[in-house]
Amino acid sequence: MTQIIPDIRLEGLTIGYGEQPVVSDIDAVLPGGKITVILGGSGCGKSTLLKHILRLHPALAGRIVIGGHDLDSLDRRGMHCLRQRMGVLFQDGALLGSLTLGDNVALPLREHTRLKEREVRERVLAKLGLVGLADFHDYFPNELSGGMRKRAGLARAMVMDPPLLFCDEPTSGLDPVTAAELDQLLLELKRRSEMTLVVVSHDLDSMRTIADHVLVLGDGRLLFQGSRTELEATQDEYLRRFLDRQAAERTTPRLTMPALDMKVMKRNCAGYLEEK
Amino acid sequence: MIQASRARQLSPIAHLGDATLRLVGDTGAMFLFFVESFGRIFRSWGQFVKTVRQIYFIGVKSVSVITLISLFTGMVIGLQMYYALAKFGADGFLGAAVSLSLVRELGPVLTAIMITGRAGSSMTAEIGVMRISEQIDALRVMDINPIGYLVSPKLAASIICFPILTAFFDLVGMLGGYLTGVLLLGGNSGVYWYRVSAYLKMNDITGGFIKSLVFGVVVCTVCCYMGYYTHTRRDAVGPEGVSQATTAGVVTSCVLILLSDYILTSLLF
Repeated sequence: MTQIIPDIRLEGLTIGYGEQPVVSDIDAVLPGGKITVILGGSGCGKSTLLKHILRLHPALAGRIVIGGHDLDSLDRRGMHCLRQRMGVLFQDGALLGSLTLGDNVALPLREHTRLKEREVRERVLAKLGLVGLADFHDYFPNELSGGMRKRAGLARAMVMDPPLLFCDEPTSGLDPVTAAELDQLLLELKRRSEMTLVVVSHDLDSMRTIADHVLVLGDGRLLFQGSRTELEATQDEYLRRFLDRQAAERTTPRLTMPALDMKVMKRNCAGYLEEK
Repeated sequence: MIQASRARQLSPIAHLGDATLRLVGDTGAMFLFFVESFGRIFRSWGQFVKTVRQIYFIGVKSVSVITLISLFTGMVIGLQMYYALAKFGADGFLGAAVSLSLVRELGPVLTAIMITGRAGSSMTAEIGVMRISEQIDALRVMDINPIGYLVSPKLAASIICFPILTAFFDLVGMLGGYLTGVLLLGGNSGVYWYRVSAYLKMNDITGGFIKSLVFGVVVCTVCCYMGYYTHTRRDAVGPEGVSQATTAGVVTSCVLILLSDYILTSLLF
């Protein structure tokens, strides 16, 4: 791992489960030192792509190159090296339920470093403080809200000060204020520690706040890659629809249930009632 | 048409073949799973602390249930054996009958089955939930081997706890036999303990311990394997998959305990 701020290159990458491809032929560069947002609708393969980049699943075809190193050519030691330079925030935080927040965050330090317990505690408190959870050191994950669990997951992902940080849907399920706070936290992190961030999201607000670079997946392929401004200016019909539909959802007040048309309901039920 | 009809005729055979292949594949995978977990027991000092925690969970927390079960098992054996032996005027051999049946058979088997129900099911559920909530993936990306972190301490604890709990079961069971055979039905106390010491050979005790060791390895490997591969189940996914895996872990463990008990009995005694 020679590069200080590594970029990620996907070359002819086809991802999927078993023999079934989910997204095919991805050729993209996720630039080092920037925030890349992987965007797309539900089920389009965003999280699957992230899991392939993290090497949790083998690619069906193509290559993933991180910091100049092809993941396929890395031996076990190389993979260990790479993984210790990565931090990952999973969708629900993925904190170990049997450990307190402090122990969760301390886990990578205890497993991979020879730091004294006092130093571990200092580092853990510093990271928990960064995400506003220093007072919750001794709490268990099930005693926290979803947003707090995500922030704690972020603290754990950052505890080794990795140059690569991956976040899977960091703002999903959060209220707008907490989501905006988390976005600001990611921006602050990038500003402070010069890292490559890859964020999987379907939240356009979040993308507009944090993204330097955007990949859009859909229809089983990579639809777009470029800067945020390039995406906003695109004339591609599918992408426009995607962006505008989300924009419409933001500006139109949502009903919790669709309004019922009683005439239509009566007409639809009439046949059923007659049969009875 | 002929081909379709032939395919239908072959279908049960194909199913049998598929089931056999899966059985062989699962057995092989389970064995490799055991080898990897066993190999990772001695990797680092941190494993010792985790193992102590698991000893507390598997061993110490099982003591109360083992005490109850062994006491009543011993009492029932004492009761049944006393009347059976008394018919032949051999009620003095009650101590030998109770101790031999407990140390050679019932102690190791019932202890293993009880720990499967109490600790084995929770091992499967714990690891299964960790699998479906991405906690195992989180361990992997943190470069922490999930098998070493989750399974090895449980395996080490099982290897330590099963023989100790079996010994405890045997002792309390013999006391149960004494309670009914001597205190309740009026057998001779000195004769009871004399027959225990006279008829119980070292071979019986080591045989019982070997059985409990094997059962410990089987129960821990099967239960942890079922939890670890919850996500590959064909019959259910998510929380339902975890519950199915837990059931499968307990049932498979119990079947394998009885199967290996037969094999070990024929080899050891």
